Amino acid sequence: MPAAFAVTSLHKRFRTRLGRTESVALDGVDLEVPRGEAFGLIGPNGAGKTTFIKCLLGIAHPDRGAVELLGGRPEDPRSRARVGYLPERLTLPGAWTPRAFLASVARLKALRPERPGLDALLRRVGLADAGERRIRGFSKGMRQRLGLAAALVGTPDLLVLDEPTDGVDPLGRVEIRQLLAAELARGATLFINSHLLSETERICTRIGILSRGRLVRSGSLEVLTRVQQRWRVRFAPGPVAAEALVALGFEPAEGGAWEIAAPDAPALNRALDGARTTGALLVELDRASRDLEDVLTEALAAGAA
Amino acid sequence: MISLAVARDLLLEAAARRWFLALGLALTGLLLLLLISLRLEVVDGALAATRLFGQPLHHSIQAADVALRPVFLVASQLVFWGGLCFGVLSCADFGPALLSPGRIEHLLSLPVRRWELLAGTFLGVLALALAGAVYASAGLVLVLGAKTGVWTGWPVVSAVLAALAFGSVYAGMLAVTVWVRSAALSAAAGASLVVLGLLATHRAALLDVMGPGVGRTFFAGLTSVVPPLGKLADAAGALASSAPFAPGGLVRLLAGTLAFAAALLAVAVWRFERRDF
Repeated sequence: MPAAFAVTSLHKRFRTRLGRTESVALDGVDLEVPRGEAFGLIGPNGAGKTTFIKCLLGIAHPDRGAVELLGGRPEDPRSRARVGYLPERLTLPGAWTPRAFLASVARLKALRPERPGLDALLRRVGLADAGERRIRGFSKGMRQRLGLAAALVGTPDLLVLDEPTDGVDPLGRVEIRQLLAAELARGATLFINSHLLSETERICTRIGILSRGRLVRSGSLEVLTRVQQRWRVRFAPGPVAAEALVALGFEPAEGGAWEIAAPDAPALNRALDGARTTGALLVELDRASRDLEDVLTEALAAGAA
Repeated sequence: MISLAVARDLLLEAAARRWFLALGLALTGLLLLLLISLRLEVVDGALAATRLFGQPLHHSIQAADVALRPVFLVASQLVFWGGLCFGVLSCADFGPALLSPGRIEHLLSLPVRRWELLAGTFLGVLALALAGAVYASAGLVLVLGAKTGVWTGWPVVSAVLAALAFGSVYAGMLAVTVWVRSAALSAAAGASLVVLGLLATHRAALLDVMGPGVGRTFFAGLTSVVPPLGKLADAAGALASSAPFAPGGLVRLLAGTLAFAAALLAVAVWRFERRDF
């Protein structure tokens, strides 16, 4: 599948006015995101996530490295015409109405702003009733929704969203997740930068962890959260010979489940056969996994070492 | 085309600003006041009597078009210098607002070239200056034309000249903004250019009284590139009051002013293309 974007050996340093290096924002990042994928970039504050997005879209110029955006260069307006971007802190014209703002974005994308289309966008982000209100009276969540609507103008192939659910209430987050799922289903690529790990987990299929300007981990969510060679099992309710299970290598886990380390399938099956001989009846078997927070913590610790 | 869309947005933004609403209201109020309070008696093309707020103004009987010349001259100077000062203050924030965090990132992510953003902003401000200057001068022409039967388009042409002069000043303000995003610095740059433009008008006389040295050389160099705004104002006044003027001189002045603005815009675009946001 062709890449929505690919960056190679991306370096970016910020300098003071006197030319001294102030900080290293990106230190050799390589990343390729295929089209139609939902990719989440996570990392602590100052890791370089926003700088990465800025270099990706040509808003900042990398010192070194190559960026390919939808088969072209980010400086090429034809590439950017197929991108929808929601910045972290979008400044909106307070005196305008949302419809006027979306019409302006459409004009700048060389599209004809037609009212039915703009109204449909406002409906999609839950602002149908606010089309004629001044933006200055909007809450943070409403501004975020409007920013999302602006990103969706022109049905872009790639959506780059910096903290898309920031300031949005829980119900609104569900709506935004549904909207993003619909975009994904239509074939759009999602690139999400968020510090809300649970949101990233729910939307994205692949994750990258950025720390101190380096991509320290990258892969599918399933692989990143999987604990290698460790399994989670649940036995049928009833008396279980706990001591016998412990002797077989099982360890009690949360919610009455058990975990066992097994290097391969025969070892796992030997352990399960042993458990069955104690009278335990297997009802559930799954790979043991961690949540994204654990993965992030571990990756950051490894990156700091 | 994209630059025109940027300019259109700037005009929409200006329409919501108190500065420009106040200017529009003030100009309309002044013109209405003039329309209501000024009584002119014109007999056979001659201005026989003038009453302002019911009080007679004493003057000798003269041809209406001749009598209106000083009025148009004063009005053109007011539009020129008043417009420059108002423009410097009221437009200082457009550049910094364009470059404000959270807005510029969004604009640069759109399929807009960087130079188109700057050109659009410049064109929007120029259109705003033109609209204000032409509204004031055309309003005056209409009011006085309706009362005297003297119709002339030269005060409007003079107003266009004033707007172009402001364009050269705004190019400097925009160039400064691209380096440092500050409305105060932008206004200071505009005010400095207006003052330098005045000094450039009297360049030869000032150089005569300056002693030789680095200061004189610096002054000579600086005032050789800044448009002599006083000369432009004089030309605008001459146009408005139908006074004689040398068209060749005006063309040279205008060409120099436009070249100055173009050079400053080129510097601004050069910097803008390289800047990170």
